[in-house]
Amino acid sequence: MTAGPEVAPATGSTPALPADLDLEQLYQQAPCGYLVLAEDHTISAVNDTFLHWTGHHREDLVGTRFDALLPVGDRILFSTHCLPQLAVIGAVGEIVIDVLGTGGVRRPALLTAARTPATDGVPASTRVIVFSAHERRRYEQELIAALHRAEESDDRRAGAEAELRFLAHHDPLTGLLNRSGLLAEADALGGPGAGPSALLIDLDGFKAVNDSLGHAAGDELLVVVARRLRAAVRESAVLARPAGDEFVLLEVFADPADVEPLVERLIGALSAPVLVHGVEVVVSASIGVAVGAGADDTLEDLLRRADLAMYRAKARGRNRWEQYDPSSTDPAVGRLQLLGDLRRGVVAGELRLHYQPRVEVRTGVLAGVEALVRWNHPTRGLLPPSAFIEAAEESGLIRTLGAWVIDEAIAQAVRWQAEDPHAAPVEMAVNLSARQLADPALVGAVTGALARHRLDPSLLVLEITETALMGDPAGALATLSALRALGVGLAVDDFGTGYSSLTYLKHFPIDELKIDRSFVAGLGTDHGDSAIVASCIQLAHALGLRAVAEGVETETQRLALLDLGCDLAQGYHYAAPLAADVLRSWSRALSR
Amino acid sequence: MTTSVAARNHVTVTGRPDGPVVLFSHGFGCDQGMWQRVLPYFTEDHRVVLFDHVGAGRSDPAAWNREKYASLDGYAADLLEICEELDLRDVVLVAHSVSAMMAVVAAAARPDRFSRLVLVAPSPCYIDDPGSGYVGGFSREDIDGLLESLDSNYFAWAAAMAPMVMGNPGTPELGAELTGSFCRTDPEMARDFARVTFLSDSRLLLQQVTTPALVLQCSEDLLAPVEVGRYVHQQLAGSTLVQLAATGHCPHVSAPEETATAILGYLQTVR
Repeated sequence: MTAGPEVAPATGSTPALPADLDLEQLYQQAPCGYLVLAEDHTISAVNDTFLHWTGHHREDLVGTRFDALLPVGDRILFSTHCLPQLAVIGAVGEIVIDVLGTGGVRRPALLTAARTPATDGVPASTRVIVFSAHERRRYEQELIAALHRAEESDDRRAGAEAELRFLAHHDPLTGLLNRSGLLAEADALGGPGAGPSALLIDLDGFKAVNDSLGHAAGDELLVVVARRLRAAVRESAVLARPAGDEFVLLEVFADPADVEPLVERLIGALSAPVLVHGVEVVVSASIGVAVGAGADDTLEDLLRRADLAMYRAKARGRNRWEQYDPSSTDPAVGRLQLLGDLRRGVVAGELRLHYQPRVEVRTGVLAGVEALVRWNHPTRGLLPPSAFIEAAEESGLIRTLGAWVIDEAIAQAVRWQAEDPHAAPVEMAVNLSARQLADPALVGAVTGALARHRLDPSLLVLEITETALMGDPAGALATLSALRALGVGLAVDDFGTGYSSLTYLKHFPIDELKIDRSFVAGLGTDHGDSAIVASCIQLAHALGLRAVAEGVETETQRLALLDLGCDLAQGYHYAAPLAADVLRSWSRALSR
Repeated sequence: MTTSVAARNHVTVTGRPDGPVVLFSHGFGCDQGMWQRVLPYFTEDHRVVLFDHVGAGRSDPAAWNREKYASLDGYAADLLEICEELDLRDVVLVAHSVSAMMAVVAAAARPDRFSRLVLVAPSPCYIDDPGSGYVGGFSREDIDGLLESLDSNYFAWAAAMAPMVMGNPGTPELGAELTGSFCRTDPEMARDFARVTFLSDSRLLLQQVTTPALVLQCSEDLLAPVEVGRYVHQQLAGSTLVQLAATGHCPHVSAPEETATAILGYLQTVR
């Protein structure tokens, strides 16, 4: 092969270009757009491919700024990122942009550019290559979208997991920990040093609220209680509602002496009335405290001890707290055992009735007695109702027990009459529990006992608490009406502690209003209490009812009641509940 | 673990150690490398301090905190921390683009730190506010477009801007080492950075600045039109407005001599 004269001689290592190569054509019809930009980034040259691709005419582009072909977002990126980089490094590669074609059509493109600095009178210029990036752009957009979706779903999943964890560990009603949350938190509390102490807080009379106002009201009450407890404890304290109306507080006490102020604070926090469904409810709580878990103690051990202490608090009159004492033979040890004992005791005749005199305030004459049950436990001695009535109510044993009480009280009333035929007959007041009131067999049992012992029904007074009446007002009304039809007297017990609603007083066939001992206690010393007692008495009289004051303990109270025109009174000022034979002697001494 | 502020912001100190301090704060889309071309005009007589905003350049990626950097305040706090850690006093703060408003935040908070502000192509608010007649040049949709554009370049940015240069005939002024990392940025952080800087409105802050300031206004600047520069000048008491012949948004890159001369000339004027 001979070198033709038209072939340029090779220089250096650069091979000669093919003779038929049309550089102009290669430029104009390259598979990508070419542009040359002047120093000020105006377009000085553009190839056919770019014009064809964008639809612009050459004369419209030359002399205009390149970034005018970009949408605003890309333009900002181009001027803040690409141009400085071009100036400093001399090149940018594969920047993804949209190029605006005619009619504003966006054409995705990859931009690569290189800058030639000025040399010897030749101004600087920038050569730009624009590849159509349709496929790649779409691919990248999909990747980006997937990336953002993944980020979002990561966030969502993390959120869902957190929510799930929260739900699994929290009581949805109160937001406090539930049982499993309590277990988890207790693990976290573990460690060296004094272990946490447990407080078991059980609401007194919650069941009555639930029964009488409905579950929604009960829930509302629990929420308020939870909020008050939370506000009364430290931020770091673990507070849970493992079940029902039972709350658990785990707290680490540096000093055992810190327990009492906290418990008192809790009791104080709960003692303020709660407005539930428009009704003011006073809750109280019985609190059991188990201090300082030992190293080997499980949470269950601790809670069991707090539970025992709590039941002792209940047994000792509620609205109080007890600390677990391993040395004491706790009366609450084993409620099942208690129930078993009670069941056996009812059959074995271990129950006794004591009778508290009800005295006419004006004359001081014995008008009647209130029968109060006692359990003469074979090993633990004489137990008050508070030690076993709740267990009996919850087990259903109350029906047997209650029937026995009614029968025995009626029998005793008749016995006294037989012993002193000339004495004025004594009224016998007997307490009925909510469960008894709901028992369809009640009216039959009362009828049977009255008939069996031949007691004048008007000498029997049945006392029902406000809350028991409100549990099932319609049912209560039917039962009370049936009892009233027998000629039995009916009294509302503990008046003022529940709803104190005039409505039921008007609707129910009631004869007597018993003013709660808590108001009587402040009589003559507390203006508020005195006012309440005064209005209770006025209310009773306005409705034609007899007013009876419970828990009269001082002469001051007696004088105040006399002043207010109260009909009957009972309490230690007159006499404690007495055994039947003791009462007889007491009564004789009184009338002498 | 606490890393130093200098490490966090990849602080570089050069120039005359006992010279007056000039602190350069780069804008959106780049890093301290952006100042390369103007540095020779300062290093002889000034102590030059450069840094990368968190999220840009060689800043510590671990320092990124979406909450902190959700407003200009986070960046301004970094600026002040740099001054504090290096014990910089009577600082001349040269800030470009969105950084100019970080400088305004910093100077309003700690006027004692700064002797002069040099605001290069500043804008207190990029978005038009028809209510007050303020023209920032952009709509909210435009800024969304920028975010989209950032998204589009996600992979390119994440690939750390490899210097794939097809036959770059010119000799880059920068060494190969810097070439590889120039304006490197994390795409996610860049997105947040863009959102914060382009969507913030610092107009009310301008009047709180007592530090004398130079406003450098470029020609044909898409991001900071002449009206915006004039607005900044009017709102900044005791400021000086200099109109540059340089076009575009980065005069310190495209016209380093003119830019540096304007700054030095301003610094020589009596306070």
